[in-house]
Amino acid sequence: MKTNKLYAIILIVSLLGLLSCSGKNNGPTTIEWWQFWTDPSIKPTLEKIVADYEAQNPDIKIKLTDLTWGNGHEKIVVAFSSGTAPDIVELGSDWIYEFASTGQLMPMSKDLVKDTSGYYGWPPAIYNNDIYAMPWILGTRVLYINRTLMIRAMKDSNFVPITFDQLKTLCFKIDSLGNGVRGFGSNAAEKHTLYKKFLPFFWSFGGRIISRNGNFAVISSQKGYDALKYYKNLSDSCSLVDTQRRIEDAFLAGKVGVIISGDWLLKRIRNEKINIDFMTALIPGPVYPGKSFVGGEYLSVSAKSPHRAEALKFIRYITDRENQLAFCKANYSANPSNKETANDKFFNDDPALQIFIKEINLSPFPAPDPQWVYIEDIIETMLEEVLFKGMPVADGLYAARGKIQKLIDNK
Amino acid sequence: MNSRRAVGSLFASPWILTFLIFWLFPLLYSLYLGFTDYRLLRPSFHWVGFQNFAALFSDSAFTEALKNTFYFVLGTIPVTTIVALLVALLVEKQFAGRTIFRSGYFMPSITSMVVIALIFTNLYSRGGYIHILAQILGLGPPENGFLLSNKTALMAIMAMDIWMSVGYYMLLFLAGLKSIPEELYEAAVVAGAGRTRQFFSITLPLLKPVALFIVVINTIKSFQIFTEIFVMTGGKSGTSTAVYFIYETGLSRFEFGYASAAAYILFLIIAVFSLAQFGLFQQRSLQ
Repeated sequence: MKTNKLYAIILIVSLLGLLSCSGKNNGPTTIEWWQFWTDPSIKPTLEKIVADYEAQNPDIKIKLTDLTWGNGHEKIVVAFSSGTAPDIVELGSDWIYEFASTGQLMPMSKDLVKDTSGYYGWPPAIYNNDIYAMPWILGTRVLYINRTLMIRAMKDSNFVPITFDQLKTLCFKIDSLGNGVRGFGSNAAEKHTLYKKFLPFFWSFGGRIISRNGNFAVISSQKGYDALKYYKNLSDSCSLVDTQRRIEDAFLAGKVGVIISGDWLLKRIRNEKINIDFMTALIPGPVYPGKSFVGGEYLSVSAKSPHRAEALKFIRYITDRENQLAFCKANYSANPSNKETANDKFFNDDPALQIFIKEINLSPFPAPDPQWVYIEDIIETMLEEVLFKGMPVADGLYAARGKIQKLIDNK
Repeated sequence: MNSRRAVGSLFASPWILTFLIFWLFPLLYSLYLGFTDYRLLRPSFHWVGFQNFAALFSDSAFTEALKNTFYFVLGTIPVTTIVALLVALLVEKQFAGRTIFRSGYFMPSITSMVVIALIFTNLYSRGGYIHILAQILGLGPPENGFLLSNKTALMAIMAMDIWMSVGYYMLLFLAGLKSIPEELYEAAVVAGAGRTRQFFSITLPLLKPVALFIVVINTIKSFQIFTEIFVMTGGKSGTSTAVYFIYETGLSRFEFGYASAAAYILFLIIAVFSLAQFGLFQQRSLQ
């Protein structure tokens, strides 16, 4: 009797176990995705794209987890190091190398190689000749010019600065209008921001941080010197020096004539219904056009993800023509990675957005380098020393060169 | 007896376990990490001896951060302590509205540090009230605000820190003043001692234990300055401090070995300062 009871219990437990296992296998596969788009203007669109995907693929469930730019990087690093990374993770362009070089990301060349011609922004996604991320939403910075101030200063409503000399003339003339109006918005020592404002000048002058073979720091070349001297002159002579947000506030209030900013400012002007006559323009150069700073957000798959195929399928879906267009329209952003999306009427009919698309095509991505975070720090320190502590331009560049060379030597 | 001990140990075990797992182990493990090249995301790490410690002293970012920390500590502690004592002496007296003043001075101590830091960031900016006031007074404030200038950023944060801390230390001094027996002052009056003499011969000597406590905890707190820097300047404009450096190195770049070494250098500095302060006060007490 006792034995029968025991058999019965074992049978019931086994049956329950089998049922639970089969239930697990029959249910939808959950793909976990960590992403940074939490703004109320864009989140519903993102959720709709996800919901549509789930409706089309009933066997897949996408679990969205929001990150913030304040601590997202830390969370991703900890997740990778503890083996709890999600299947798909959104990464900033300058983080990909860090994770790819430590084996945290899944190589995707076989799956994505045929997509390369249809998308912008591949350089940061490539490490050791393998693709580790899919470009999604790119970002660049362009000139914003207050047309009211420009017309007053230049007496020409069609003026567009296409060379650095013309930019300087415009800024100085606006600055001389008086009444607290400044010509140019120059960034203060603000973390992760200052170097992004200087590098467009640096690259436009033809400067390089590291030699092509990767063995030498060459930031202190004549071109680098010319770029920093030019930027310092603008900053010292006719600029409002402040944080990015306050520079943008002053621009929108008609207190600064020319600033460098991203497409978030277009969105702000539209959302806050700010009455300002402005235009966007490509970054000038010694010879037209110059170059800007380009970055972006990329989608990668964790090397340990058990759902590789499903994750890739979803990445393809969210970066396709229609979904990128829906995303950019909701966000009023100008930088889809998908070339077909970038050629859509939505962008072609909007001159302000069009400038961003053109600037992305003209500008280089920062060299992918695991040491980039340190190089960024060195450049920011150099700028702080030269712009705000009175260090001579050549000395600042020379010191930065030495520090970067040390990084290269210790690699 | 044994069972009583076992029950006692059982009740104490949650705390002991917490202490062992979350305090002692990380403390010792971080000391070990200080001698390694451990970085998160790296599959392995190696023993590097004193290499991290040596590198730190030739790292200009660390030495600059350490210099700023000393500047902050030496600049704020004497001022905070003296102002807190003076305010305590003032609000100890009986006068109308005394409670309002006491509450007013204490209020910043119970307000969120982040909130205060954000408010002061605005006050110090161009167009902020403090900036405008400095212009009106002809003090020649930096054109772009106090926090964007290397000459004034750290001083501005120090001024805010003093304003914020005075109330708490005032309260401690008030408690110390209350504990001084009234008879001592009465006897001093009978002996013909004036108010100044009473202050230097009775009040100050008897406040020494409170003053020691204040100086020691203020020293430790000041060496650990972080939140204000994080919120107000992000370590820019010459305001990076030792803890901010450790945060950047450990939690932004994930160089745990290097950051642990820096943390232990800071720990040693705080320990030396605290012991020196204890010694100094004890020596004075004996005299």
